[in-house]
Amino acid sequence: MAWRWFHQWGSPRWFYERASRWQAWAGWIAVILLAVGTVWGLAIAPVDYQQGHSYRIIYLHVPVSFLAQALYLAMAIAAAVLLVWRMKLADVAMQSLAIVGFAFCVLALASGAIWGKPTWGTYWVWDARLTSMLILAFLYLGIIGLRSAMLDPNTAGKACAILALVGAINLPIIKYSVEWWNTLHQPASLTLTEKPAMPASMWVPLLINICGYYAAAAYLVFASMRGLVLHRERRAQWVRELVGAHD
Amino acid sequence: MGIEWRIIQREWRLVMARPGEVLKPMWFLLLVISLIPLALSPDSTLLAEIGPAMIWVATLLAILLNMDHLFKDDYSEGVLEQWLFWSRPFAWCVAIKLLTHWLFYILPLILMTPIVGLMLSIEADVIAVLLVTLLVATPALTCFSGLGGALTLGAARSGVLGVLVMLPLFVPVVILAAGVITRTTDGAGVGPLLALLAAFSLGAAILMPLAIAAAIRLNIGGST
Amino acid sequence: MIEWQFESLAALIAMAPHGPFVWSVYGLGALVLGGLTWHVRHAHSHAITRIQRQFEREGGHESET
Repeated sequence: MAWRWFHQWGSPRWFYERASRWQAWAGWIAVILLAVGTVWGLAIAPVDYQQGHSYRIIYLHVPVSFLAQALYLAMAIAAAVLLVWRMKLADVAMQSLAIVGFAFCVLALASGAIWGKPTWGTYWVWDARLTSMLILAFLYLGIIGLRSAMLDPNTAGKACAILALVGAINLPIIKYSVEWWNTLHQPASLTLTEKPAMPASMWVPLLINICGYYAAAAYLVFASMRGLVLHRERRAQWVRELVGAHD
Repeated sequence: MGIEWRIIQREWRLVMARPGEVLKPMWFLLLVISLIPLALSPDSTLLAEIGPAMIWVATLLAILLNMDHLFKDDYSEGVLEQWLFWSRPFAWCVAIKLLTHWLFYILPLILMTPIVGLMLSIEADVIAVLLVTLLVATPALTCFSGLGGALTLGAARSGVLGVLVMLPLFVPVVILAAGVITRTTDGAGVGPLLALLAAFSLGAAILMPLAIAAAIRLNIGGST
Repeated sequence: MIEWQFESLAALIAMAPHGPFVWSVYGLGALVLGGLTWHVRHAHSHAITRIQRQFEREGGHESET
Protein backbone atom coordinates (compact mmCIF):
# COMPACT_ATOMS: atom_id res chain seq x y z
CA MET A 1 0.00 0.00 0.00
CA ALA A 2 2.71 2.43 1.05
CA TRP A 3 4.77 1.37 -1.92
CA ARG A 4 1.93 2.06 -4.32
CA TRP A 5 1.47 5.52 -2.85
CA PHE A 6 5.13 6.22 -3.29
CA HIS A 7 5.07 4.92 -6.82
CA GLN A 8 2.13 7.15 -7.77
CA TRP A 9 3.84 10.28 -6.56
CA GLY A 10 6.88 9.27 -8.54
CA SER A 11 4.81 9.21 -11.74
CA PRO A 12 4.57 12.60 -13.43
CA ARG A 13 1.63 11.48 -15.53
CA TRP A 14 -0.42 10.43 -12.53
CA PHE A 15 0.30 13.77 -10.89
CA TYR A 16 -0.46 15.79 -14.02
CA GLU A 17 -3.88 14.21 -14.40
CA ARG A 18 -4.83 14.23 -10.72
CA ALA A 19 -3.58 17.74 -10.05
CA SER A 20 -5.85 19.07 -12.75
CA ARG A 21 -8.81 18.23 -10.50
CA TRP A 22 -7.09 19.53 -7.32
CA GLN A 23 -6.20 22.73 -9.11
CA ALA A 24 -9.82 23.35 -10.13
CA TRP A 25 -11.10 22.66 -6.61
CA ALA A 26 -8.49 24.89 -4.99
CA GLY A 27 -9.18 27.66 -7.48
CA TRP A 28 -12.93 27.74 -6.88
CA ILE A 29 -12.57 27.46 -3.12
CA ALA A 30 -10.11 30.34 -3.22
CA VAL A 31 -12.41 32.55 -5.27
CA ILE A 32 -15.40 31.94 -2.98
CA LEU A 33 -13.53 32.27 0.32
CA LEU A 34 -11.58 35.33 -0.75
CA ALA A 35 -14.71 37.05 -2.05
CA VAL A 36 -16.59 36.38 1.21
CA GLY A 37 -13.68 37.14 3.51
CA THR A 38 -12.56 40.30 1.72
CA VAL A 39 -16.03 41.84 1.40
CA TRP A 40 -16.72 40.98 5.02
CA GLY A 41 -13.40 42.41 6.15
CA LEU A 42 -13.66 45.58 4.09
CA ALA A 43 -17.30 46.51 4.53
CA ILE A 44 -18.95 44.53 7.34
CA ALA A 45 -16.36 44.02 10.08
CA PRO A 46 -16.55 46.79 12.71
CA VAL A 47 -14.02 49.57 12.62
CA ASP A 48 -11.02 49.42 14.96
CA TYR A 49 -11.28 52.07 17.66
CA GLN A 50 -7.53 52.72 17.68
CA GLN A 51 -6.44 52.44 14.06
CA GLY A 52 -9.65 53.33 12.28
CA HIS A 53 -10.19 51.83 8.84
CA SER A 54 -6.50 51.29 8.13
CA TYR A 55 -6.65 48.10 10.21
CA ARG A 56 -8.64 46.51 7.34
CA ILE A 57 -5.29 45.87 5.67
CA ILE A 58 -4.97 43.01 8.17
CA TYR A 59 -7.30 40.87 6.02
CA LEU A 60 -4.64 40.74 3.33
CA HIS A 61 -1.44 41.32 5.25
CA VAL A 62 -1.75 38.61 7.90
CA PRO A 63 -2.80 35.74 5.60
CA VAL A 64 -0.14 36.63 3.05
CA SER A 65 2.58 36.82 5.72
CA PHE A 66 1.48 33.43 7.08
CA LEU A 67 1.65 31.96 3.62
CA ALA A 68 5.07 33.42 2.85
CA GLN A 69 6.46 31.51 5.84
CA ALA A 70 4.38 28.37 5.35
CA LEU A 71 5.45 28.10 1.71
CA TYR A 72 9.12 28.29 2.72
CA LEU A 73 8.51 25.43 5.14
CA ALA A 74 6.76 23.47 2.40
CA MET A 75 9.70 24.16 0.10
CA ALA A 76 12.14 22.88 2.72
CA ILE A 77 10.07 19.69 3.08
CA ALA A 78 10.09 19.24 -0.69
CA ALA A 79 13.86 19.78 -0.60
CA ALA A 80 14.29 17.02 1.97
CA VAL A 81 12.08 14.69 -0.11
CA LEU A 82 14.17 15.47 -3.19
CA LEU A 83 17.48 14.79 -1.46
CA VAL A 84 16.35 11.65 0.39
CA TRP A 85 14.14 9.93 -2.20
CA ARG A 86 15.29 11.73 -5.34
CA MET A 87 11.71 12.27 -6.36
CA LYS A 88 11.61 14.48 -9.45
CA LEU A 89 8.20 15.83 -8.55
CA ALA A 90 9.68 17.34 -5.37
CA ASP A 91 12.05 19.36 -7.53
CA VAL A 92 9.13 20.70 -9.56
CA ALA A 93 7.30 21.49 -6.31
CA MET A 94 10.32 23.40 -4.99
CA GLN A 95 10.54 25.46 -8.13
CA SER A 96 6.85 26.40 -8.00
CA LEU A 97 6.83 27.02 -4.25
CA ALA A 98 9.83 29.34 -4.51
CA ILE A 99 8.13 31.60 -7.03
CA VAL A 100 4.73 31.68 -5.34
CA GLY A 101 6.36 32.08 -1.93
CA PHE A 102 8.51 34.95 -3.11
CA ALA A 103 5.49 36.74 -4.60
CA PHE A 104 3.58 36.35 -1.32
CA CYS A 105 6.60 37.57 0.60
CA VAL A 106 6.85 40.71 -1.52
CA LEU A 107 3.12 41.28 -1.08
CA ALA A 108 3.48 40.89 2.70
CA LEU A 109 6.33 43.41 2.75
CA ALA A 110 4.49 45.91 0.55
CA SER A 111 1.25 45.67 2.51
CA GLY A 112 3.17 45.96 5.77
CA ALA A 113 4.94 49.07 4.55
CA ILE A 114 1.71 50.69 3.34
CA TRP A 115 0.04 49.82 6.64
CA GLY A 116 3.00 51.37 8.45
CA LYS A 117 2.33 54.81 7.00
CA PRO A 118 -0.97 55.50 8.80
CA THR A 119 0.01 53.46 11.89
CA TRP A 120 3.63 54.44 12.51
CA GLY A 121 3.75 57.57 10.38
CA THR A 122 6.41 56.11 8.09
CA TYR A 123 6.55 53.47 5.39
CA TRP A 124 9.43 51.52 6.80
CA VAL A 125 10.57 50.91 10.34
CA TRP A 126 13.10 48.31 11.34
CA ASP A 127 10.45 46.34 13.14
CA ALA A 128 11.37 42.73 13.98
CA ARG A 129 8.72 41.19 11.76
CA LEU A 130 9.30 43.45 8.80
CA THR A 131 13.01 42.76 9.04
CA SER A 132 12.73 38.99 9.21
CA MET A 133 10.21 39.08 6.35
CA LEU A 134 12.75 41.06 4.32
CA ILE A 135 15.40 38.45 5.02
CA LEU A 136 12.95 35.71 4.06
CA ALA A 137 12.47 37.51 0.74
CA PHE A 138 16.26 37.51 0.25
CA LEU A 139 16.37 33.78 0.98
CA TYR A 140 13.65 33.12 -1.60
CA LEU A 141 15.47 35.32 -4.08
CA GLY A 142 18.72 33.41 -3.48
CA ILE A 143 17.03 30.11 -4.27
CA ILE A 144 15.40 31.46 -7.43
CA GLY A 145 18.68 33.06 -8.51
CA LEU A 146 20.71 29.92 -7.89
CA ARG A 147 18.36 27.83 -9.99
CA SER A 148 18.41 30.24 -12.88
CA ALA A 149 22.22 30.41 -12.90
CA MET A 150 22.95 26.69 -12.91
CA LEU A 151 23.67 25.04 -16.23
CA ASP A 152 22.36 21.55 -15.53
CA PRO A 153 18.72 21.40 -14.34
CA ASN A 154 19.27 18.25 -12.25
CA THR A 155 22.19 19.75 -10.39
CA ALA A 156 20.25 23.01 -10.04
CA GLY A 157 17.38 21.25 -8.26
CA LYS A 158 19.63 19.51 -5.74
CA ALA A 159 21.77 22.59 -5.14
CA CYS A 160 18.60 24.58 -4.44
CA ALA A 161 17.46 21.81 -2.11
CA ILE A 162 20.67 22.03 -0.07
CA LEU A 163 20.34 25.81 0.09
CA ALA A 164 16.67 25.59 1.08
CA LEU A 165 17.47 23.17 3.91
CA VAL A 166 20.35 25.26 5.23
CA GLY A 167 18.04 28.27 5.05
CA ALA A 168 15.29 26.41 6.90
CA ILE A 169 17.67 25.48 9.73
CA ASN A 170 18.84 29.08 9.87
CA LEU A 171 15.43 30.70 9.69
CA PRO A 172 14.42 30.22 13.36
CA ILE A 173 17.87 31.49 14.42
CA ILE A 174 17.44 34.53 12.17
CA LYS A 175 13.97 35.17 13.57
CA TYR A 176 15.06 35.00 17.21
CA SER A 177 18.18 37.07 16.64
CA VAL A 178 16.22 39.75 14.79
CA GLU A 179 13.66 39.86 17.60
CA TRP A 180 16.41 40.17 20.19
CA TRP A 181 18.13 42.87 18.13
CA ASN A 182 14.85 44.74 17.90
CA THR A 183 14.24 44.80 21.65
CA LEU A 184 17.79 46.06 22.05
CA HIS A 185 17.36 49.02 19.75
CA GLN A 186 13.75 50.10 19.76
CA PRO A 187 11.23 51.17 22.31
CA ALA A 188 8.48 48.58 22.31
CA SER A 189 5.79 51.14 21.58
CA LEU A 190 5.52 50.34 17.88
CA THR A 191 3.84 46.96 17.90
CA LEU A 192 0.69 45.88 16.24
CA THR A 193 0.32 42.86 18.47
CA GLU A 194 -0.59 44.21 21.86
CA LYS A 195 -4.26 44.82 21.32
CA PRO A 196 -7.32 43.64 23.17
CA ALA A 197 -8.76 40.38 21.87
CA MET A 198 -10.64 40.80 18.63
CA PRO A 199 -14.40 40.32 18.57
CA ALA A 200 -15.68 37.45 16.44
CA SER A 201 -16.96 39.80 13.75
CA MET A 202 -13.34 40.81 13.21
CA TRP A 203 -11.51 37.49 13.37
CA VAL A 204 -13.98 35.31 11.49
CA PRO A 205 -13.36 37.12 8.17
CA LEU A 206 -9.63 36.93 8.93
CA LEU A 207 -9.89 33.17 9.33
CA ILE A 208 -11.90 32.91 6.10
CA ASN A 209 -9.28 34.91 4.25
CA ILE A 210 -6.43 32.82 5.68
CA CYS A 211 -8.12 29.70 4.31
CA GLY A 212 -8.82 31.54 1.07
CA TYR A 213 -5.18 32.51 0.55
CA TYR A 214 -4.10 28.97 1.39
CA ALA A 215 -6.42 27.73 -1.36
CA ALA A 216 -5.13 30.38 -3.75
CA ALA A 217 -1.55 29.34 -3.04
CA ALA A 218 -2.49 25.69 -3.62
CA TYR A 219 -4.11 26.62 -6.93
CA LEU A 220 -1.06 28.59 -8.06
CA VAL A 221 1.40 25.90 -7.00
CA PHE A 222 -0.54 23.08 -8.68
CA ALA A 223 -1.03 25.10 -11.86
CA SER A 224 2.62 26.04 -12.00
CA MET A 225 3.75 22.48 -11.26
CA ARG A 226 1.59 21.08 -14.06
CA GLY A 227 3.16 23.42 -16.59
CA LEU A 228 6.65 22.50 -15.40
CA VAL A 229 5.91 18.76 -15.41
CA LEU A 230 4.71 19.02 -18.98
CA HIS A 231 7.85 20.81 -20.05
CA ARG A 232 10.18 18.42 -18.25
CA GLU A 233 8.44 15.34 -19.60
CA ARG A 234 8.22 16.72 -23.14
CA ARG A 235 9.96 13.67 -24.59
CA ALA A 236 7.63 11.19 -22.88
CA GLN A 237 5.04 9.33 -24.91
CA TRP A 238 2.11 10.30 -22.68
CA VAL A 239 2.86 13.99 -23.14
CA ARG A 240 2.92 13.60 -26.92
CA GLU A 241 -0.41 11.80 -26.86
CA LEU A 242 -1.90 14.39 -24.56
CA VAL A 243 -0.68 17.33 -26.61
CA GLY A 244 -1.76 15.65 -29.83
CA ALA A 245 -5.25 15.42 -28.37
CA HIS A 246 -5.27 19.16 -27.80
CA ASP A 247 -5.53 20.17 -31.44
CA MET B 1 48.02 12.88 9.42
CA GLY B 2 49.18 12.31 5.83
CA ILE B 3 46.12 13.41 3.90
CA GLU B 4 45.35 16.42 6.05
CA TRP B 5 48.94 17.51 5.69
CA ARG B 6 48.76 17.20 1.90
CA ILE B 7 45.75 19.54 1.73
CA ILE B 8 47.50 22.12 3.89
CA GLN B 9 50.72 21.86 1.89
CA ARG B 10 48.95 22.29 -1.41
CA GLU B 11 47.19 25.38 -0.07
CA TRP B 12 50.50 26.76 1.16
CA ARG B 13 52.09 26.25 -2.25
CA LEU B 14 49.15 28.03 -3.91
CA VAL B 15 49.46 30.95 -1.52
CA MET B 16 53.19 31.19 -2.19
CA ALA B 17 52.64 31.05 -5.93
CA ARG B 18 50.02 33.77 -5.89
CA PRO B 19 50.34 35.93 -2.76
CA GLY B 20 48.13 38.52 -4.43
CA GLU B 21 45.11 36.36 -3.64
CA VAL B 22 45.77 36.79 0.08
CA LEU B 23 46.50 40.49 -0.23
CA LYS B 24 43.47 41.39 -2.34
CA PRO B 25 40.82 41.11 0.43
CA MET B 26 43.10 43.04 2.80
CA TRP B 27 43.51 45.73 0.19
CA PHE B 28 39.73 45.79 -0.27
CA LEU B 29 39.19 46.21 3.48
CA LEU B 30 41.65 49.11 3.64
CA LEU B 31 40.03 50.83 0.68
CA VAL B 32 36.49 50.52 2.00
CA ILE B 33 37.52 51.81 5.44
CA SER B 34 39.39 54.74 3.85
CA LEU B 35 36.29 55.71 1.94
CA ILE B 36 34.13 56.02 5.05
CA PRO B 37 35.64 59.23 6.49
CA LEU B 38 35.61 60.67 2.97
CA ALA B 39 31.94 59.88 2.49
CA LEU B 40 30.84 60.73 6.04
CA SER B 41 33.04 63.22 7.84
CA PRO B 42 36.50 63.23 9.45
CA ASP B 43 34.87 63.82 12.86
CA SER B 44 36.57 61.26 15.10
CA THR B 45 33.76 60.82 17.65
CA LEU B 46 31.31 60.01 14.85
CA LEU B 47 33.79 57.63 13.22
CA ALA B 48 34.52 55.90 16.52
CA GLU B 49 30.80 55.37 17.04
CA ILE B 50 30.02 53.74 13.70
CA GLY B 51 33.52 52.33 13.17
CA PRO B 52 33.07 48.84 14.64
CA ALA B 53 29.93 48.25 12.57
CA MET B 54 31.69 49.46 9.42
CA ILE B 55 34.69 47.24 10.03
CA TRP B 56 32.38 44.28 10.58
CA VAL B 57 30.48 44.83 7.35
CA ALA B 58 33.64 45.49 5.35
CA THR B 59 35.33 42.35 6.74
CA LEU B 60 32.21 40.36 5.91
CA LEU B 61 32.33 41.55 2.31
CA ALA B 62 36.08 40.92 2.10
CA ILE B 63 35.52 37.32 3.26
CA LEU B 64 32.81 36.85 0.68
CA LEU B 65 35.08 38.27 -1.99
CA ASN B 66 37.25 35.20 -1.51
CA MET B 67 34.39 32.75 -1.83
CA ASP B 68 35.08 31.96 -5.45
CA HIS B 69 38.63 30.79 -4.76
CA LEU B 70 37.64 28.39 -2.04
CA PHE B 71 36.77 25.48 -4.27
CA LYS B 72 36.89 26.74 -7.85
CA ASP B 73 40.61 26.11 -8.48
CA ASP B 74 40.54 22.70 -6.84
CA TYR B 75 37.42 21.92 -8.87
CA SER B 76 38.86 22.88 -12.25
CA GLU B 77 42.14 21.07 -11.54
CA GLY B 78 40.37 17.88 -10.51
CA VAL B 79 41.69 17.91 -6.95
CA LEU B 80 38.19 17.61 -5.49
CA GLU B 81 37.64 14.41 -7.45
CA GLN B 82 40.76 12.93 -5.91
CA TRP B 83 39.38 13.53 -2.43
CA LEU B 84 36.52 11.19 -3.25
CA PHE B 85 38.97 8.30 -3.51
CA TRP B 86 40.97 9.12 -0.44
CA SER B 87 40.73 7.04 2.69
CA ARG B 88 39.09 9.85 4.67
CA PRO B 89 35.43 10.92 4.56
CA PHE B 90 34.87 13.56 1.90
CA ALA B 91 33.34 15.97 4.44
CA TRP B 92 36.48 15.67 6.56
CA CYS B 93 38.63 16.77 3.61
CA VAL B 94 36.24 19.70 3.12
CA ALA B 95 36.60 20.64 6.79
CA ILE B 96 40.41 20.59 6.53
CA LYS B 97 40.21 22.73 3.42
CA LEU B 98 37.98 25.24 5.24
CA LEU B 99 40.45 25.33 8.11
CA THR B 100 43.38 26.06 5.81
CA HIS B 101 41.35 28.72 4.07
CA TRP B 102 40.63 30.34 7.41
CA LEU B 103 44.31 30.22 8.38
CA PHE B 104 45.74 31.56 5.13
CA TYR B 105 43.08 34.01 3.96
CA ILE B 106 40.80 35.02 6.83
CA LEU B 107 43.28 35.27 9.69
CA PRO B 108 45.43 37.93 7.94
CA LEU B 109 42.23 39.86 7.35
CA ILE B 110 41.34 39.73 11.05
CA LEU B 111 44.84 40.86 11.97
CA MET B 112 44.21 44.00 9.93
CA THR B 113 41.51 45.06 12.40
CA PRO B 114 43.76 47.07 14.75
CA ILE B 115 45.12 49.07 11.82
CA VAL B 116 41.75 49.94 10.30
CA GLY B 117 40.42 50.45 13.84
CA LEU B 118 43.03 53.13 14.43
CA MET B 119 42.14 54.73 11.11
CA LEU B 120 38.58 55.18 12.40
CA SER B 121 39.87 56.34 15.82
CA ILE B 122 38.28 53.47 17.72
CA GLU B 123 39.53 53.01 21.27
CA ALA B 124 41.88 50.17 22.08
CA ASP B 125 39.51 48.20 24.31
CA VAL B 126 36.78 48.32 21.66
CA ILE B 127 39.28 47.13 19.07
CA ALA B 128 40.11 44.22 21.37
CA VAL B 129 36.44 43.27 21.60
CA LEU B 130 36.10 43.63 17.84
CA LEU B 131 39.02 41.24 17.39
CA VAL B 132 37.45 38.71 19.74
CA THR B 133 34.08 38.80 17.95
CA LEU B 134 35.80 38.38 14.59
CA LEU B 135 37.87 35.45 15.84
CA VAL B 136 34.81 33.74 17.28
CA ALA B 137 32.49 34.45 14.35
CA THR B 138 34.70 33.93 11.31
CA PRO B 139 34.63 30.11 11.44
CA ALA B 140 30.87 30.31 10.80
CA LEU B 141 31.36 32.91 8.06
CA THR B 142 34.04 30.76 6.41
CA CYS B 143 31.70 27.78 6.42
CA PHE B 144 28.84 29.75 4.88
CA SER B 145 31.00 31.28 2.19
CA GLY B 146 32.30 27.77 1.51
CA LEU B 147 28.76 26.61 0.89
CA GLY B 148 28.18 29.55 -1.42
CA GLY B 149 31.30 28.67 -3.37
CA ALA B 150 30.40 24.98 -3.55
CA LEU B 151 26.82 25.58 -4.66
CA THR B 152 27.82 27.92 -7.46
CA LEU B 153 30.53 25.60 -8.85
CA GLY B 154 28.12 24.51 -11.58
CA ALA B 155 26.74 27.98 -12.27
CA ALA B 156 27.31 29.66 -15.59
CA ARG B 157 28.36 33.02 -14.19
CA SER B 158 28.96 32.49 -10.50
CA GLY B 159 30.52 35.93 -9.89
CA VAL B 160 28.42 37.78 -7.38
CA LEU B 161 25.69 35.15 -7.15
CA GLY B 162 27.26 33.23 -4.27
CA VAL B 163 27.54 36.43 -2.27
CA LEU B 164 23.88 37.30 -2.84
CA VAL B 165 22.78 33.79 -1.93
CA MET B 166 24.80 33.61 1.28
CA LEU B 167 24.52 37.12 2.74
CA PRO B 168 21.05 36.70 4.29
CA LEU B 169 22.35 33.68 6.23
CA PHE B 170 24.94 35.89 7.92
CA VAL B 171 22.27 37.92 9.72
CA PRO B 172 22.41 36.14 13.13
CA VAL B 173 26.21 36.36 13.25
CA VAL B 174 26.20 40.07 12.47
CA ILE B 175 23.48 40.78 15.03
CA LEU B 176 25.23 38.83 17.80
CA ALA B 177 28.64 40.34 17.08
CA ALA B 178 27.22 43.86 16.95
CA GLY B 179 25.41 43.11 20.22
CA VAL B 180 28.68 42.14 21.88
CA ILE B 181 30.31 45.37 20.73
CA THR B 182 27.48 47.72 21.79
CA ARG B 183 27.21 45.97 25.15
CA THR B 184 30.89 46.42 25.84
CA THR B 185 30.75 50.12 25.02
CA ASP B 186 27.72 50.34 27.35
CA GLY B 187 29.67 48.48 30.02
CA ALA B 188 27.36 45.45 30.22
CA GLY B 189 28.38 41.78 30.42
CA VAL B 190 28.94 39.95 27.13
CA GLY B 191 29.72 36.40 28.26
CA PRO B 192 26.41 34.81 27.24
CA LEU B 193 26.42 36.56 23.86
CA LEU B 194 29.94 35.42 23.07
CA ALA B 195 28.93 31.91 24.09
CA LEU B 196 25.99 32.06 21.67
CA LEU B 197 28.25 33.30 18.91
CA ALA B 198 30.73 30.51 19.63
CA ALA B 199 27.89 27.97 19.62
CA PHE B 200 26.78 29.23 16.22
CA SER B 201 30.31 28.89 14.87
CA LEU B 202 30.66 25.41 16.34
CA GLY B 203 27.33 24.31 14.88
CA ALA B 204 28.32 25.68 11.49
CA ALA B 205 31.72 23.98 11.69
CA ILE B 206 30.07 20.63 12.38
CA LEU B 207 27.12 20.77 9.97
CA MET B 208 28.36 22.85 7.07
CA PRO B 209 31.16 20.55 5.87
CA LEU B 210 28.47 17.90 5.33
CA ALA B 211 26.32 20.31 3.31
CA ILE B 212 29.35 21.56 1.37
CA ALA B 213 30.44 18.00 0.65
CA ALA B 214 26.97 17.21 -0.70
CA ALA B 215 27.03 20.36 -2.86
CA ILE B 216 30.45 19.51 -4.29
CA ARG B 217 29.43 15.94 -5.06
CA LEU B 218 26.48 17.28 -7.06
CA ASN B 219 28.74 19.40 -9.19
CA ILE B 220 31.40 16.75 -9.66
CA GLY B 221 28.73 14.85 -11.51
CA GLY B 222 26.29 12.24 -10.35
CA SER B 223 26.11 11.09 -6.76
CA THR B 224 29.05 8.81 -6.29
CA MET C 1 -26.95 40.25 11.45
CA ILE C 2 -25.05 41.75 8.53
CA GLU C 3 -24.39 45.32 9.40
CA TRP C 4 -22.74 47.43 6.70
CA GLN C 5 -20.19 49.79 8.10
CA PHE C 6 -20.57 52.40 5.37
CA GLU C 7 -23.64 54.38 4.41
CA SER C 8 -22.73 54.76 0.78
CA LEU C 9 -20.34 53.44 -1.84
CA ALA C 10 -18.51 56.76 -1.73
CA ALA C 11 -17.93 56.33 2.00
CA LEU C 12 -16.61 52.82 1.40
CA ILE C 13 -14.17 54.08 -1.22
CA ALA C 14 -13.10 57.04 0.89
CA MET C 15 -12.74 54.94 4.08
CA ALA C 16 -11.84 58.24 5.67
CA PRO C 17 -9.05 58.95 6.20
CA HIS C 18 -7.28 55.74 5.23
CA GLY C 19 -8.87 54.91 1.86
CA PRO C 20 -5.74 55.31 -0.29
CA PHE C 21 -3.73 52.97 1.96
CA VAL C 22 -6.36 50.25 2.24
CA TRP C 23 -7.29 50.28 -1.42
CA SER C 24 -3.72 50.38 -2.67
CA VAL C 25 -2.94 47.28 -0.58
CA TYR C 26 -5.92 45.40 -1.98
CA GLY C 27 -5.16 46.65 -5.49
CA LEU C 28 -1.62 45.39 -5.16
CA GLY C 29 -2.90 42.08 -3.84
CA ALA C 30 -5.22 41.68 -6.82
CA LEU C 31 -2.37 42.60 -9.14
CA VAL C 32 0.04 40.05 -7.65
CA LEU C 33 -2.50 37.21 -7.47
CA GLY C 34 -3.82 38.01 -10.94
CA GLY C 35 -0.33 38.31 -12.35
CA LEU C 36 0.72 34.97 -10.88
CA THR C 37 -2.42 33.30 -12.19
CA TRP C 38 -1.78 34.69 -15.65
CA HIS C 39 1.88 33.66 -15.46
CA VAL C 40 1.26 30.03 -14.50
CA ARG C 41 -1.52 29.62 -17.07
CA HIS C 42 0.60 31.21 -19.76
CA ALA C 43 3.56 28.98 -18.88
CA HIS C 44 1.31 25.92 -19.17
CA SER C 45 -0.10 26.82 -22.58
CA HIS C 46 3.35 27.90 -23.73
CA ALA C 47 4.73 24.48 -22.78
CA ILE C 48 1.96 22.83 -24.81
CA THR C 49 2.56 24.91 -27.96
CA ARG C 50 6.31 24.31 -27.73
CA ILE C 51 5.82 20.56 -27.54
CA GLN C 52 3.37 20.71 -30.44
CA ARG C 53 5.81 22.67 -32.56
CA GLN C 54 8.56 20.19 -31.76
CA PHE C 55 6.16 17.41 -32.73
CA GLU C 56 5.38 19.03 -36.10
CA ARG C 57 9.05 19.66 -36.81
CA GLU C 58 9.73 15.96 -36.45
CA GLY C 59 7.34 15.43 -39.35
CA GLY C 60 4.57 13.68 -37.46
CA HIS C 61 5.84 10.26 -38.56
CA GLU C 62 5.31 9.07 -35.04
CA SER C 63 1.55 9.38 -35.46
CA GLU C 64 1.60 6.34 -37.73
CA THR C 65 3.11 4.11 -35.13
